[in-house]
Amino acid sequence: MINNKYTKISFYLVILFGLGLFYFGTDGFTAFTAETARVQQLKDDKPKFPDVTLEDSMGRKYSISEFEDKYVFITFLYTSCTTVCPELEYNMKQVYDKLPVGVKGEEIVFLSISFDPERDTPAVLNKYKDYFKSDGETWRMARIPDQAELDSLLKAFGVIVIPDDNGNFAHNSAFYLVDKKGSLIDVLDYKKIDDAAQKVVTILENRGEE
Amino acid sequence: MNQSFYGMLLFIFLAAPPVANFMESLMVIHMHMQMPMLVISGMLMARFLQKRFPHLFEKWNSNGVPGITLFVLIMVYWMLPRSMDETLTSPIIEGFKFISLPFLAGISLRDSWKKLNPFGKNSIIISFTILFIGLGWLYIWSPVQLCNNYLVIEQVTLGWAFLLTAIGMIIYLGYNFFIDPSAYE
Repeated sequence: MINNKYTKISFYLVILFGLGLFYFGTDGFTAFTAETARVQQLKDDKPKFPDVTLEDSMGRKYSISEFEDKYVFITFLYTSCTTVCPELEYNMKQVYDKLPVGVKGEEIVFLSISFDPERDTPAVLNKYKDYFKSDGETWRMARIPDQAELDSLLKAFGVIVIPDDNGNFAHNSAFYLVDKKGSLIDVLDYKKIDDAAQKVVTILENRGEE
Repeated sequence: MNQSFYGMLLFIFLAAPPVANFMESLMVIHMHMQMPMLVISGMLMARFLQKRFPHLFEKWNSNGVPGITLFVLIMVYWMLPRSMDETLTSPIIEGFKFISLPFLAGISLRDSWKKLNPFGKNSIIISFTILFIGLGWLYIWSPVQLCNNYLVIEQVTLGWAFLLTAIGMIIYLGYNFFIDPSAYE
């Protein structure tokens, strides 16, 4: 073969380019789906919980500052959901049950946020919370009535919600942990209940020692 | 020859925002129509560059191996669930799609394919067949949603499209293997 030298060089260049492409395209061969990339990005960025007005199942309205000096354990859901949300909330309940009684409401608050404010009125949320034996106080369920505010929160926390044609939503699910100053510090796999509970307990203990 | 001109027209058409938005709104069209058509537009445009710089290709891609490797790398990159997701959320990645598929993958495929021997050609087709079966399997039976911007049902549709493409390639390979075209001339 003629001019083999140049062809060899270009071959190695192509391989190098390919390695670089895949390295940067997958954050160093770690994130092959956008969801893993999203979670990693969130953990690095630690975005602030935006200043939005929540309206909970008792009709009380407040912002995230209501939970100042407490950790907040958050999930996103809509109550008409029949697939992943009940599982998500049931898993959240299990994490809730695994935590020591003393910390709940004092050190950490559980908060389920609905991204379907039209249907999830305080009355609906109130009924829904009973399915999971949430007390509405240390574990609250709330909606964000203002769509623009809701969108800003979903965007900040990387929650992607796509409505489908049947009044349902496709969405990604996780446990979100916000620290005492209102910054997102961790995104946990909602299927690994024990890991999530363990992590929360560790974080709470470490803070106590400081 | 004005095939390069038509290639450019196709490229401009595909890149026009309404067309691009529509094609990207459906996962299966995004991957199995928009992306291949971008490659095709590049293949058509390749003629212009081959005529303009014949020595460049002869010198740097004499046996077609670097070119076909580049083609394979670009194709595999765009089959990662993440890449497809990110074209929808990041304008930089979207731009990279419109550059890399025609100008890196399309041009290098056109220039390299003829230079490969039958063994090389068949290996490429067989590898892509296996890859497509794997991806089809992944998208159809994956328990999780791989792409944040598309519904699971679209993911399954895409999986079947991959399997069908793989079946098409198997038929082609079989045809190539069993039928001798000269017998019919």
